[in-house]
Amino acid sequence: MRVREQDNLTMNVGKVGIVRGRDWPRHVSLLLAIAVVVFPLAYAALISTQSNTQINNFQLTPGSSLGTHFDQVWNGANLGRLMWNSVVQAVLITVIKTVLSLLAGLAFVYFSFRGKWIVFFLVLITLMMPTEVMILAMFRLVSDLGLKNSMAGLVIPFAASATGAFLFRQHFANLPKDLSEAAQIDGASPLQFLFKILIPLSWNVIGALAVIQFVFVWNMYLWPVLIVSDPNSQVVQQGLERLKSTDTGITYGPLMLAALLASLPPALVFIALQKPFMSGFAVSADK
Amino acid sequence: MKRIFGLLTAFALIASACGGSDDGGGDAATADNPVTIDMWIAFSDDARKGFTEEKAAEFNTAHPEYNVVVQSFDSYNTVFEQAALAIDDGNPPELIHFFEAATQQALDAKDKDGNAIFASVTEAIDGRDEILGEPVVIDDVVSAATKYYTIDNQLYSMPWNTSTTTMFSNMGILEAAGISDPPDTWAEVEAACDAIMALPDAPSEGCITWPNHGWFFEQALGQAGADLANNENGRADRATEVFLNSDAALDYVQWWSDLEDAGHYVYTGTQRDWAGTASAFNAGNVAMLVYSSSDTTVLTDTGKENSVDVRSSFMPHNGDAAYAGNLIGGATIWMTSGLSTAEQDGALAFLNFFSNPKNAGDWHKLTGYIPITNAAVAQLESEGWYTESPNSLVASDQLNAAADTPASTGALLGNFVSIRDVVTLAIEDILVNDVDVTERMGSAQSEAQTLLDDYNELNG
Amino acid sequence: MGIVASIIVAALLGALSFGYKSVREGAMGAALGLLGGSVILGSLRLCTFAADAASTEAVLGIGLAGAFAWMFGAGTRAVLGQRSADLGSGENRSGTYKLGWYWPWLLLSPTLLILILFLYLPAFQTFTLSTKLANLTSPRTADRCLSNFSDLMVESPTRIAMLPLVAIAMIWGVALWSKRSTPGTRSHSIAKTLQPMGILAVVFAFYFMFETESGTGGYRLIYLNTIIISLSIVALAMTVGLAMAYLAFGRIRGITVYRTLLIWPYAISPPVAGILFFMMFNATAGIFAFLADKIGIEFPNYTASAGMARGVIVLASVWKLLGYNLLFFLAGLQTVPRAQIEAATLDGANAWQRFRLIVMPALGPIAFFLLVTNLTYSFFEVYGTVDLLTKGAPASSTSVAIYEIIRVGVNNQNIGKGAAQSVLLFLAVIGLTAWQFRQSEGRVSYAGS
Repeated sequence: MRVREQDNLTMNVGKVGIVRGRDWPRHVSLLLAIAVVVFPLAYAALISTQSNTQINNFQLTPGSSLGTHFDQVWNGANLGRLMWNSVVQAVLITVIKTVLSLLAGLAFVYFSFRGKWIVFFLVLITLMMPTEVMILAMFRLVSDLGLKNSMAGLVIPFAASATGAFLFRQHFANLPKDLSEAAQIDGASPLQFLFKILIPLSWNVIGALAVIQFVFVWNMYLWPVLIVSDPNSQVVQQGLERLKSTDTGITYGPLMLAALLASLPPALVFIALQKPFMSGFAVSADK
Repeated sequence: MKRIFGLLTAFALIASACGGSDDGGGDAATADNPVTIDMWIAFSDDARKGFTEEKAAEFNTAHPEYNVVVQSFDSYNTVFEQAALAIDDGNPPELIHFFEAATQQALDAKDKDGNAIFASVTEAIDGRDEILGEPVVIDDVVSAATKYYTIDNQLYSMPWNTSTTTMFSNMGILEAAGISDPPDTWAEVEAACDAIMALPDAPSEGCITWPNHGWFFEQALGQAGADLANNENGRADRATEVFLNSDAALDYVQWWSDLEDAGHYVYTGTQRDWAGTASAFNAGNVAMLVYSSSDTTVLTDTGKENSVDVRSSFMPHNGDAAYAGNLIGGATIWMTSGLSTAEQDGALAFLNFFSNPKNAGDWHKLTGYIPITNAAVAQLESEGWYTESPNSLVASDQLNAAADTPASTGALLGNFVSIRDVVTLAIEDILVNDVDVTERMGSAQSEAQTLLDDYNELNG
Repeated sequence: MGIVASIIVAALLGALSFGYKSVREGAMGAALGLLGGSVILGSLRLCTFAADAASTEAVLGIGLAGAFAWMFGAGTRAVLGQRSADLGSGENRSGTYKLGWYWPWLLLSPTLLILILFLYLPAFQTFTLSTKLANLTSPRTADRCLSNFSDLMVESPTRIAMLPLVAIAMIWGVALWSKRSTPGTRSHSIAKTLQPMGILAVVFAFYFMFETESGTGGYRLIYLNTIIISLSIVALAMTVGLAMAYLAFGRIRGITVYRTLLIWPYAISPPVAGILFFMMFNATAGIFAFLADKIGIEFPNYTASAGMARGVIVLASVWKLLGYNLLFFLAGLQTVPRAQIEAATLDGANAWQRFRLIVMPALGPIAFFLLVTNLTYSFFEVYGTVDLLTKGAPASSTSVAIYEIIRVGVNNQNIGKGAAQSVLLFLAVIGLTAWQFRQSEGRVSYAGS
């Protein structure tokens, strides 16, 4: 049974969009998958309309508290402001990281220099260096630099990454070799080559990296908690955290509403960047 | 290359523009340029956080030269960690809300140059009767709180929310089982549970529950008159030994474990689960809940909403041993040292305003924390509040029920928060894995002793 | 005694890792090894061999000397030999720029500066902290040598010395066997199948090195939890993610809507995922308990059993990771050469064969990338989920390494002990990735053409 199903699917990989009439099994399985995956979110949406008493008494119909909850979340917890701070942080990190990663990718692929692979290894290994485990040392450093309670403190430590350098290196290494030869013959400097030729060929990877980075920054929690205590400079996850007060019991409705609202910006970013991302984010396309 | 440097410069500019400074600590306090007093509290629920913000706003209106800014965190532990980080950074807020277990550590806290982080509130008030027109109420604080927080004959911090452990009973279920009054001793609890669980429609989860929190363990030691630490519970001198496996401790944990084995006690599965135990009780899935008196009002009101008569009573004790008294829990507000006179007076004025008789009374009614000054008690009595809501009197009565001893006062102890963690972890092991009580509390004892030794090595 | 043993071990390992084809090379290696050993033991001021040090600390000290000797020897060898092995690509490419030597360094400098300042420096400080007794609110610290580490291990120095040796011997033995036996013979294929046993040997060696005394089940339990939970997360998230990618690949009406809905959970943060699953599975107020009650089944309290509690954590994490994996696998499937699939289908290859021979190699780099990111997720970001779902219950059986680090280092403010556990986790992740990197080297090509 299982083999047969895979058989169909693999056929589809081969004949994309050819077999129209036999689409319904895929529709059914996709709908089933979505039912399972989206269930927790739908449940959250239901909860966000109910008061704690209604939740405890199990009610499968929407409650009447959505308005109050929205007021609590938007005005009480100031979620709008916090979300804006997160957007600023995410955009800054994404942009700077993309630029730095492009430069690193350029150096790794289009230059030969002594110690290259050691440097590459040193960069790559930071992929496995969890900021979580050395967060206290990082905190001391950033507060010594006077960056506490500032956007710079939220952005700079995360402005370079192995993920980006790695992705661009892979991408550039897979581009045709004659590109850089032609560019050199034309007398283009490496930066001209990067901006005129490489970047236009890399929008897919840039889009992919943007999605990953945006969500990564959006979900960042431990670090902002340590370095931003000023309520107006805090980020969205800190707002969520305060809504789930543990010592005095959770009021689920506002929390679920806030969680759903907070998941919208990353979802929007994903929808916006889906096309470039999907249309051939090929790590090894021409192999 | 130019373009890159351009980008980096632009970024640096943006960053510095976004990272504006928030200084407000000048010496001249005027309405145009108010002095900011930052206050960190461990409450983020609407009621408690809302109350504090409301009082801060009232204070700011009455004293336009000040701006008290309340910042809320989700739990005591978070404030504790955040304060530690801010101290490490050398930039703590003026007022910090610490729970009782952090008292020793707050007393010992030093900055990088070895100066104490917190100032003594008594010393800072310096015998004044009023500050900026706000009458000083600290001398009127009820004895239950002063005896816990008085160290070297002074109050280092201003007592605020103070509670004790009381029991809440779903009288509908108890009466159906033929019990007219909530049980008072361990044996009575067992008997009541036998009757309740024999009911045809016995509560679905079990008979009784309470959170696995170190505080309940400490209460049981207090009831039995046993100390948690040497040197009179750390009150005569710095505590250097901790006693997690005294007879009284083993008795309590054994009783707890037996109650669980009998299917009467419900363990919700996680440590410090205030929310889970309360919701089991509110849903009528258990008949009795041992809890903090801080939630007396909300538990009673939730009962009313569900047409359930919720009655509050003393925390059950061991009937085979003499009852020696229960201790307090809750938190106080600490003031950092090194403030300017204007800042310090503003902070002190706010603290005394915050607990003036009217505010202390309102706070009690809102939550169930005991009224913190005698004047507040008198005012509530004259209003007839206690006849109206008898449940609200239980906590104060319980705290006044026995003579003052170090055991019923509570321990002062370094690394207390971590030691509580050792206790709850051991009890969870006993409840879930049915390991031997004496043996497990023995290993908890040696872990806790190491924690205390470590603490004293750095702070002694 | 300990010092003499360290000198011998360091010199031997230095020579072994550097090379010993000639006397000169061997001597050079031994010298490098001694240098490496003295760097680490010197910075510890030989405390591991002090009179009051535990015997397990001495063993750890000798081990450290050996490890540093190896790093120095192998490192130098690698630097000397790097001209011939420069990533297999780039170097031999035609079309590299031949400008001033400083060009690549200029391009790399912002990245390197940030990584050194905000990752390497704190990492180094974490190493220093791990040898101290330190508390957040007290400016004083006390030296603890390696006891923050030895406290996590059994009190038997022989066991701590022997177990890693046995594991290393096994790995070497099998490697040697497969190298010496002729390819194609039965003996060779046995050796090949035995090769993954190396990692198992290491896993077991550590299991028996960790103590079981403190807390509920000691650090051994934490280690076990981490392995069970992270392996389950990675395995499930990768396979289900790939299956879903198959399902959502290709053109079909409404595919954008389908994909967006399937990927949405990726936008939920780990703590919120924790709360959602907490609410669904809660025995008092959860929807599953309610539905089970309707049909007359008692819904169990998942925090009461280790298996169920771990299961719910795995479920919540997989749910959260699926979108991410789906995203990448979808992108990866685009690169599968369609012509080859069609040709293979005509040649009569079945679905599994096509998957194994064409799809899998094409997905290789993506799968490796996902493996690493999923592994880091299951090691670190799972913290938020654990904190909200179980807080380590029941009896520490869902307390994974990162949860324990935060509990000890931040909640209980024992920074030194937290740092020591961080160092262990850090080494584990680096080791695992390096091993994974080696394993996939043959099969996955990162270098392009």
